[in-house]
Amino acid sequence: MRAARGLATGISPARDLWPGIEQAISAPRKSRWSPMLAQAAAAVLLVGASSLVTYVAVKYDAGDTPAQVMTAAAPQGLIFDRAAFGGEDTLAAVYGRAGGNIGSMLDRELASLSPEAREDVERNLAVIRRAIEEIATALEKEPDNVFLQELLVEAYSNELALMNRIGSMAQRVMARRDI
Amino acid sequence: MLLAARFSDYSSRMVTLERPAFTEEADCIAKAQQSDAKAFERLYRMHVDRVYGLCLRMTGNVSEAEDSTQEAFIQAWNKLHLFRGDSAFSTWLHRIAVNAVLGRIRKSKREQDRIQVAVEQSSAPLATADTGDMRDLSEAVDRLPEGARHVFVLHAVYGYSHEETADMLDIAAGTSKAQLHRARRLLAQQLTEQGFEA
Repeated sequence: MRAARGLATGISPARDLWPGIEQAISAPRKSRWSPMLAQAAAAVLLVGASSLVTYVAVKYDAGDTPAQVMTAAAPQGLIFDRAAFGGEDTLAAVYGRAGGNIGSMLDRELASLSPEAREDVERNLAVIRRAIEEIATALEKEPDNVFLQELLVEAYSNELALMNRIGSMAQRVMARRDI
Repeated sequence: MLLAARFSDYSSRMVTLERPAFTEEADCIAKAQQSDAKAFERLYRMHVDRVYGLCLRMTGNVSEAEDSTQEAFIQAWNKLHLFRGDSAFSTWLHRIAVNAVLGRIRKSKREQDRIQVAVEQSSAPLATADTGDMRDLSEAVDRLPEGARHVFVLHAVYGYSHEETADMLDIAAGTSKAQLHRARRLLAQQLTEQGFEA
């Protein structure tokens, strides 16, 4: 043990290691947010906010009071608490079932839509669908990315929530073949 | 009076001899924490030999030691804002270096290759600064099994306590003691076979 204390503790490396370190510490840190992801996330947030505004506007058109608007609850079937991806992609199936549930409820609300509100809804849906496509494309490259999975669920959820409120659009969603 | 004067002289020399190095390191740490790369380079120059030595002793491989050393300093740069001076900077740096070595070993899963390379490289005269009997001991340490070698290097060569060694290696202190016992037994066997007295 005494001899071990005599072993050299300071040993000079054969080459200067600083240039490699300097290069690593001076390189700008890579952002975890790619432009595409940032856009997709922004789109989802935008749609979430604007669909809420649309919902409020539509409800006002139908003569509801603000209190009724704020206490309106989503149907039980629309709560997305988990989703499966990859080889056993059940999200589209869950989405389809939820869409079916909506279909039966939507007709009652068709009459309450004004042309302006309908235009808002269509614009919002287009943004959501574009976001879904972009997220799905990103997921193909990174199927295990939990953030992307959650983003996709959120986008689907936003779309369904909007459809749930605006009945006339549900039929178009039911006819979709891309999800 | 004379004794007091001598003590005063001794104290002042202590200050002049030891303080500059300490304050220079503290100054460099403070500046490097403000992202001053030049100050960090000075820290690197101060500590690289001991960090590289530790990595080389632990890995027994020049290439792995170089990579681990670089990785340790890069991680130190990234974590420097977390250094609060609770321990010596060298201890903090060694802890990061040990983690870098262990991380690379887990990642590479090429331990058998490493041992072979280590045996070949340990005989290279410039691999360490050890000479004569010390070189034999150094080579014997390189041939120790990984767990025993890590404990032996940290405890017996670098002087860390069993608690510190265990903490760095994420093992129990009792395991550290057992590994040290094993290392000593294996070293004694090796050195006896080479004609040394145990």
